[in-house]
Amino acid sequence: MNFLLEGFFQAFHLLLSGSAETYSAIWATVKVSSYSIASSLLIGLPLGFCLGYFDFRGKKPLRTIVDTLMALPTVFIGLLVYAFLTHRGPLGNLGLLFSLPGIAIGQTILALPLVIGLSATAVESLDQKLRTTILSLGANRRQLFLSTLWESRHGILAGAIAAYGRVMTEVGISMMVGGNIKWHTRTITTAIALETNKGQFGMGVALGLVLLAIALCVNVLVSFLRRRY
Amino acid sequence: MFSSHFCAAGIEKLDTPIFEIRSLKHSYAGKTVLEIEHLKVQPASILGLIGPNGSGKSSLLRLLGLIERPTHGEILFNGRRVEPFSDEARFLITLLPQEPFLMKRSVLNNVAYGLKLRGNGPAAVQQVDDALSLVGLPSKDFSRRPWYALSGGEAQRVALAARLALKPRVLLLDEPTASVDAASAQLIKEASLRARQELGTTLVVASHDWQWLYEICDEVLHLFNGRIFGTGQANIIFGPWQNLGTGKWGKLLADGQQLLVPDPPDRQAVGVIDVISVTADRAAMAGEGIVLSGIVSRLSLERKTGQLFASILVGDLPLTVGLALQQGREHTIFPGKPVFIGYRLDKVKWI
Repeated sequence: MNFLLEGFFQAFHLLLSGSAETYSAIWATVKVSSYSIASSLLIGLPLGFCLGYFDFRGKKPLRTIVDTLMALPTVFIGLLVYAFLTHRGPLGNLGLLFSLPGIAIGQTILALPLVIGLSATAVESLDQKLRTTILSLGANRRQLFLSTLWESRHGILAGAIAAYGRVMTEVGISMMVGGNIKWHTRTITTAIALETNKGQFGMGVALGLVLLAIALCVNVLVSFLRRRY
Repeated sequence: MFSSHFCAAGIEKLDTPIFEIRSLKHSYAGKTVLEIEHLKVQPASILGLIGPNGSGKSSLLRLLGLIERPTHGEILFNGRRVEPFSDEARFLITLLPQEPFLMKRSVLNNVAYGLKLRGNGPAAVQQVDDALSLVGLPSKDFSRRPWYALSGGEAQRVALAARLALKPRVLLLDEPTASVDAASAQLIKEASLRARQELGTTLVVASHDWQWLYEICDEVLHLFNGRIFGTGQANIIFGPWQNLGTGKWGKLLADGQQLLVPDPPDRQAVGVIDVISVTADRAAMAGEGIVLSGIVSRLSLERKTGQLFASILVGDLPLTVGLALQQGREHTIFPGKPVFIGYRLDKVKWI
């Protein structure tokens, strides 16, 4: 088990000495996960809210489909996105294969069902009494809609965090669509996979710690927001 | 104390009822929960609703509060047909639901919510303070508190303050005191009556506290199975009924007396018994039909008519009977007094 402990010390050394290669992977991860979470929230929140808020024909089957897609395997998304972006694929001329935006597309597909499903659940689980209260105080349709959205904020935030966690820690899409190119598309997770293969545990542990630290920061920020609002 | 605005409105529309219900029928999932042919509510009056759980009180309040649209029929407010989101009514009518519910915001923002919907945001702080003090919650202690840091009684009072701050024309209260302690209940009762006194607000109150209702209401409606039957004191008696032999039906009471009824339509039928007389003197009851002995448990006064009501415990069954004030004095009817009551078999009705 010595090599793990050594890896642990090496991790601090790498982080504190500002190893350019390490920081390049960290930066790539932060960038690509920010892209993908932002776009999945932008698309998924309105869809999820509508799915939870309105009653329409075919709502139940649609819910089942969304819930199933929450379990999409990352390598399968990687495969599909690869197939589309590869130079023989329908979107090949965009030149997105082996680029950070390419990974972000795949991760958006990964996060979207989570954002839609969890925000729909957040809206559905609101108390029936909320609607009565808002209406009894004189809201019109638009105000009812906005107040309902605001009241479901905590549930929606929880969904966003779950999606962010999934996006930041996935390997399959980053590896297949990004190609793990050093200084370019190498993210924290693909770097860990590679370094482990090479027997370089120090680098792997260092990157793993960074991943945890990012998760900690996000959660601290969120719990601050929850207390404040 | 009356604001001139409300006085003027009151005189102008004295003959227009504030609410009128026509041929209303409301159902949930195909089951009819409320059926009212016609009902008028006069402005600045207090209307009470009495009835067991599931009798349609809450449904009626939700319809009057424009939370739901009736399945059939129409509701007129100030002579105009209204429905949920109607602009001519949504700022004037407000409903306090039975269970305390607050939105996930501070007390201040909960009470100010309705004011902000009306575009009164900037002036809200003062109005919120006033409304909170009406329900006995000093705003310096409460307005900054989050929604989860309140007791049930405090939450219900905050919810009421949110309605009072709106200075509504109509305040609908659904068992406002059912889930709170006695001190909160008292504050809630006082604050809602004050709204009617100072603003001419029309109150419609559903409650199990019939003594309170008879004390404050101009009219009390009895609801059962979604229908209004009678505006006075009706004694609803549930089955099962026993065949006592020789063609007699009735109910054996806890003290061994028999409450006789005519042939019920079925064993579980619900009957209405109209008690016609009450006296301490058995001899005076000759020719009064069925006579039972009981004990006076409560006395209350109906404000509008000045009629005195006595609740009489016969076995374990409480029966209510109206008496003229004079009669109350002559017979010296008071709680704890053993009395005899009489009713006529042919006047028993089945619902």
